Amino acid sequence: MVFDQLISNFKLGIDYALEQLINGINIGGIYALIAVGYTMVYGIIELINFAHGEIYMLGAYLAFTFYVMLKLPFPVAVLLSIFSCMLLGIFLEFIAYRPLRNAPRLAALITAIGASLFLQNLALIIWGGIPKSFPELTLPDYFQSPIITIYGSASISLLQYNIFFITVFLMLGLHLLITRTKIGTAMRACAQDKTTASLMGINVNRVITFTFAVGSSLGAVAGILAGLYYNIIKHTIGYVAGVKAFAAAVLGGIGNVPGAMLGGFVLGIAETFGAGYISSPYRDGIAYAVMILVIVFRPSGILGRKQSVKV
Amino acid sequence: MLKRIPRYSFYREKLSVSFSHNIKYFYGVLFLLVFFIPFFISNLYVIHTITLVMLYIILALGLNIIPGFTGLLDLGYVGFYAIGAYTAATLTYHLGEVVGPLSIFTNFWIIMPLAALNGAFWGILLGVPTLRLTGDYFAIVTFGFASLVELIIINEMWLTRGPMGIVMEHKPTLNLAFLYPITHHFYSEPLKFAFKGDIPFFYIIFFVVIITVIVMNRLENSRLGRAWFAIREDEIAAECSGINIMKYKVIAFAISASFGGIAGSIFAFWFKFASPESFKFWESILILCMVVLGGMGSIPGVILGTTVLVSLTEVIRVFLEPWPILVQSRFLVFGAILIIMMRFKPAGLIPLSRVKREMSSRDKSIIGAMDGSFYDITSGEKKLNSDR
Amino acid sequence: MTAEKEILSIKSLTKLYGGVVAVNNVSFDVKEGEILSLIGPNGAGKTTIFNCITGLSRPTNGEILFNDNGKKAEISGKKKTLKPDAITSIGIARTFQNIRLFNNLTILNNVKIGRHPRSKKNFAGAILRTRSQKNEEKDILKSAVRYIVFVGLEGSIMEIASNLAYGDQRRLEIARALATEPKLFLLDEPAAGMNPKETGELMELIRRIRDMGITVLVIEHDMKVVMEISDRIVVLEYGKKIADGPPEEVKNDPAVVKAYLGTD
Repeated sequence: MVFDQLISNFKLGIDYALEQLINGINIGGIYALIAVGYTMVYGIIELINFAHGEIYMLGAYLAFTFYVMLKLPFPVAVLLSIFSCMLLGIFLEFIAYRPLRNAPRLAALITAIGASLFLQNLALIIWGGIPKSFPELTLPDYFQSPIITIYGSASISLLQYNIFFITVFLMLGLHLLITRTKIGTAMRACAQDKTTASLMGINVNRVITFTFAVGSSLGAVAGILAGLYYNIIKHTIGYVAGVKAFAAAVLGGIGNVPGAMLGGFVLGIAETFGAGYISSPYRDGIAYAVMILVIVFRPSGILGRKQSVKV
Repeated sequence: MLKRIPRYSFYREKLSVSFSHNIKYFYGVLFLLVFFIPFFISNLYVIHTITLVMLYIILALGLNIIPGFTGLLDLGYVGFYAIGAYTAATLTYHLGEVVGPLSIFTNFWIIMPLAALNGAFWGILLGVPTLRLTGDYFAIVTFGFASLVELIIINEMWLTRGPMGIVMEHKPTLNLAFLYPITHHFYSEPLKFAFKGDIPFFYIIFFVVIITVIVMNRLENSRLGRAWFAIREDEIAAECSGINIMKYKVIAFAISASFGGIAGSIFAFWFKFASPESFKFWESILILCMVVLGGMGSIPGVILGTTVLVSLTEVIRVFLEPWPILVQSRFLVFGAILIIMMRFKPAGLIPLSRVKREMSSRDKSIIGAMDGSFYDITSGEKKLNSDR
Repeated sequence: MTAEKEILSIKSLTKLYGGVVAVNNVSFDVKEGEILSLIGPNGAGKTTIFNCITGLSRPTNGEILFNDNGKKAEISGKKKTLKPDAITSIGIARTFQNIRLFNNLTILNNVKIGRHPRSKKNFAGAILRTRSQKNEEKDILKSAVRYIVFVGLEGSIMEIASNLAYGDQRRLEIARALATEPKLFLLDEPAAGMNPKETGELMELIRRIRDMGITVLVIEHDMKVVMEISDRIVVLEYGKKIADGPPEEVKNDPAVVKAYLGTD
């Protein structure tokens, strides 16, 4: 039964494949933006920030609130949303994670889960259960959906085009930040060895705060882009996207930023092709399966390095 | 002789002593109280809630093994709960009204152990490749497992009827007809009870809870339990003390999973309806919350934590009925509880260390009888294994 | 010279960590019943050798053979490498440089866990509380208590391990390792952080362990301890063995003096 579907889909030809590829790259870019947030935090404090997905969700909700409900200009709404999420990420780190810096890992993990639970339901209370969406006609031109045909029936919308460039631009920016700036070097130093870094004069707490700020900002952008792309904003979107992005981060090698970017794109493409060619309902399952397989067979991911424990 | 100044204040130490000594009385009183509840309380909602609390106690105690005894985090426990429930549901649904030898598989008393075995089977299957991973990765994989179970339940309609769920029409029966030779003195008819309503389930679940608590206690105080504690405290030291880490982790996981399975099968018969809605990932978190709140590893703590949390859920549900949105977000409270507990009281309401402070009186008497056959430290004589 | 049996043979042991040679073609034997000290500057490879013997590290090359009165076991070599729990079961126990106790458990439970390899598994018995299981538990309790008395911790038998003073924690670690009934006992810097009185007690304890018929292999920096208790000393530097002999001989060996002891 699966094969019949597969074959009939293949017959749809290159157009169909191209469509899937475009979708995959778009979705992948969004996942990548979220994934880098996970991976940077894990690299520095070895914590899986479960609440990161909720930052993504709140980015979308806040942009919606500022734009649709408060009628602020679109760029202002976006910037405010990013800024708020950045503050939220910093706040979360300060209140929930910092006190547990020296506690057993289990405690920090549970706290992260609690934070995720809290934020998700807070969103439910504030915005209600009915999904929100951006009214398409009032969006700025560059986010409207005029369609450019590429090949046969494959087309790319302006929105998809913009999303692609925004994600790539931001990731390049992040890469430059981490490799070329002073703070970026400080981040890498802290990820290697916090104690030595502090002995070298680096203020580790500030670096961690900065890491959360950057990660949360990118997560917010991802949320806004996803909000525009799917046009459904619900309190549960953070959970689903968070899981997938985390799978992407693991795929690329947790703690490795280029890995997370790569993982995001790979997962996005794999998911769209999987859903498009094999089975739509198990779309989400692809992320879960990838995650489990990578962790079991190659925990260091595609780009990560193997780590050993010293006795 | 070495004297140590007690770390806790005088009163706290007294309290721990009386706690551990008297815990047997505490359990005894609790047993009697709960046993007679249906005789004194007629409000069915209260009975239902108490039954629910007890069901969650079974689940929480089952989960407790993993973080409490072995120190790992299992986020996928709801998967085993679902497997247990759907074992019951699919067997009764697909076998339906079949007669003959196969009908034994629609019998509640057969399904329950089957569900336990099924849970253990999947626990072992999942555990063997994954228990060698570090804590974080293991948690993630268990999470993936629960999510996959949920997906499969929703999508494999031929097996589980997907989102439509399975209605359990079978009522468990207690067939004591084989005792007729004895009972016909008291009762002219052979004893056959059909479970009608909540009350029989109240007692079934109650007795399963008792068995669970007894089993957990015994495991805790056995060689197996100690091996688990060793793994939790320091894996490397445990391995160098002769403990095969993988073996004991898999055993723990299998046992935990089997309790999930048992609870699931009971739930299916009690609730009379199995659907994916009851087995979402957040159930795992909820149960974890109960364990964390009560004190990971501590059996009385887990019982207390579960009671508090489940009752709180129902109380909030009743009080916030006028505002439907808020009822749904009672999870907000749980999230806050997790954060606050980890920050201020990570060991829980009744921490494990509190429970384990005193030596049991049996141990004390054994040691007392050893006086005099001790090794003579000063003479350096090799008498260590003399009275074996 | 009486031909003494070797209980442990290390042949051409080499361990590489990436590009770093931690242990470089080291060979030596441990004779049954002796106290052998392994000394050398920090980073010389001593703990790495311990880790290879106890299965926590896998040698890059070489063989480790255990000979317990004719019962031979290849701990590491061409055929396979045993895992730590198997190695403990055949009779090798150790303590750690940074004390590893089961911190939240009592002294009694720590040592009871040490009895694990010498007690019977009885899973069903644990749940059903069969008589054989109860007897087994009784035996475990009694032998654990004996080892606790042996190291002198009977006064605080129900104390939580993390509450103990440092010297007592070391003793507890020793008691737990002894409870596994080893034939060969590895001690990794047991005297670290101890005052002279505690050190004296420790030396006495090590002698008593040897008198029980257990062979002792010690890593130590405290030269007073090493010179006083050792029957033989093996000296390592940068992963290579530079001396091997009785204390008098090693003390005056020019290579050892240059590398480690210093002229005084």
